[in-house]
Order: sequence, then C-alpha cells, then structure tokens
Amino acid sequence: MKKKVLLVGGRSKSKSLALSLIKRGYQVTAINDIYDDCLKLAEIKKLSVIYGDGSKPFVLEDADAAAYDIVIALTSKDEDNLVVCELCKKRFHIKKTVALVSDPKKTEFFYKMGIDSVVCAISAVTSIIEQQAFVDEMANIVPIGEGRIQIAEVPITGSAPVVGKKIWEIDLPKEVIIGCILRSNTAMIPRGDTRILAGDVLVLISSSGQEIAAVKGLTGR
Amino acid sequence: MKLVSSKNLSEYFIIVGCGRLGANLANTLSEEGGNVLIIDKNKEAFRKLSPSFGGLSVAGDGTDFDVLQEAQIDKANVLVVVTNNDNVNVMIAQIAREIFKVNRVIARLYDPERECVYREFGIDTICPAILSAKEIDKMLLRTGSTEKLDKTACELKEETK
Repeated sequence: MKKKVLLVGGRSKSKSLALSLIKRGYQVTAINDIYDDCLKLAEIKKLSVIYGDGSKPFVLEDADAAAYDIVIALTSKDEDNLVVCELCKKRFHIKKTVALVSDPKKTEFFYKMGIDSVVCAISAVTSIIEQQAFVDEMANIVPIGEGRIQIAEVPITGSAPVVGKKIWEIDLPKEVIIGCILRSNTAMIPRGDTRILAGDVLVLISSSGQEIAAVKGLTGR
Repeated sequence: MKLVSSKNLSEYFIIVGCGRLGANLANTLSEEGGNVLIIDKNKEAFRKLSPSFGGLSVAGDGTDFDVLQEAQIDKANVLVVVTNNDNVNVMIAQIAREIFKVNRVIARLYDPERECVYREFGIDTICPAILSAKEIDKMLLRTGSTEKLDKTACELKEETK
C-alpha cells in the first residue's frame, strides 16, 4: 500500500516537496489556507488539494487526517506548525509528525512537545553556507540525525601530513572515525594498520562541530 | 472583582496580549496591588492601560524566549495568555509550562476544539463562546420559562428584579 503524506501550508516548499514525494510513489495531499496557492498546487497531477486552515481540527477531520502515515507542517508560522503537529499526534494519532521551525531556539522545545522531527530552515542554511566556506578541504558534508552527526568526504593531497601514516598513528579528535577510504575505484573499510596514501578520499563520520578540527588535522590546512 | 485580595501580595503576574481582556485584567490586578507585567507586540496597544496602571510593559513578541526571559518569566507565579490568536496562545502557554515551569498558566482559546492539545500539560483554558453560552442560558433560566423569550430586554429585567 502507498504511504500517505499530508502537507500543511507552505507555498513553494509544499509544491516542490509534493512533486518529489509523488515521484517516489507516495500518495500526497496538501492543505493550504491561501486560495491562490491552492490553485497553483492543484496544477500538480495526482496531488489532492484541500483549501482550509490546517491548524483547525475540523479541516483536518475533513481531510481524514487519521488515515495518513506522515504529516509535514510547512507554514511560515512556528505556532501554526506546532499546533498542526500536536493535533495530528494527539487527536488523529498520526505516527510521524514533521515540523518546520523558523526560530532555531525553538527546535528543542518542539521535540519536547512530542514532534518526531523538527527542521530548522535557518540552521540548515547556515550550516550549508559554513560548509561552502570550507569547500576547498571538503568535497561534501552530509548531516544526519538532525545534524548531530556529519559525514564528510575529505580528499588527501600529496602535501597532507597524514600521507604514509597508519590510521592508529593519526591523532584524531575523540568523536571522529574514518569510516571508509576511497582509493582509485575501490572503497575499503580501513583497519588501524591501513596506510593512507596521497589521492585517497577519506569518509569521516563525526559528531557535529568536530569535523572542521578533524579535517584541519588530516589535510594540514 | 477581587482577584488577589486573599493571596500573597508579592505574586508576580505576566499577561501576554494587551487587548481589551489583557488590558482590563492588567488594570484590575495592578489596582489590587499585584505585580503585573504585560507583553504585547505592538506598543500602541499599551494605550488601553489605565493611567493609574502601576505595572511594567514590554513591547515584543511573546513567543520569543528572549522576550520572556527579559520579562523574568522564571519568577512569575501566574501567566495569562490572551492574544487574539489561538495557536500563539497554545505555544506560549506550553513554553511557559514546559520550559520555564510557570506554576499556573491560563490561556484563552476561541476554538474549544483545540483543547485536547492543552489538557495533558496542566494548562487552564477559558473559552469565551462557552462562557457566553452558559451565561445566556442562565439568563434564560432565570426568567422561568422560555415563552418569555419574545419579551423585550427591558421587560425581562423588570421581572428578574
């Protein structure tokens, strides 16, 4: 059976999310309280659109909210997203609730209120910008676990201080491990006695905030 | 209306939302000697406070942790949220209760259907529609029977005296 996703509010976010979810085979419904946005959303094939305020219980009831697996609250107001998710959780017993939050200070509070996943647009954008500033050293950083863990790709050049060293000889910060080494066309899981060569790409798994120190130590920059 | 007469005078009240209800409540509590602080986004709203209002006012967004901290929410005994937006009231009430552990939180809720969100957090709610309905019902009962409904308000008053 197709998983059912309910999107509440948000104009362009809702639109692009709906498109990508439909492509991946989800059954998607969007609720929006701006009529013009509803018309825009209705242009998407296979997307059901409901015009109304998703923070009102009767609108959610009309949408048969209890039948959904995931609800994602995308409005621009934190309070609306909180109430949408709380109503869905407590009244309609939806298993997974996701809320967008604009004030980074409220992320923890939202988790405390029982919302399963909280996405802070501002923190996400800031961390991408930070990452771009280190783009020379790092090809790619992927945050997982709400950004508490980072996976980073680190290319090792000939001048890096770790070239020719075994992994157990490298002084890495405590919460960082080298999870994988990409060498020419192969990927290998390293052991303590694996030697790092110039041209390797290391895949680091680290807790958030440790990756920059680790990359500096590895590349010498 | 005696709200603080029997209580400790050093009680500290925070009111969020300086509308008709918020301003009125702030005036009354302040007159009776309570320590009152009122928060509103729009500082023009404070004009509704009476000239004798002896409390403090903070212009700022009541959902912002910094504004609440500036208002010394951790020292508040009672927080009353009466903005004109139910969702804002829900959020502020929950922040007060769960983050700042305010002892007593009272929120106004226009839509009683949202009450399920409050129930488990120990937040008291008042719903104007339900209160009005009860009051009207009481007035009707006082007149004895419903046939008197078609009488004018004046006549009703006479009879109830």
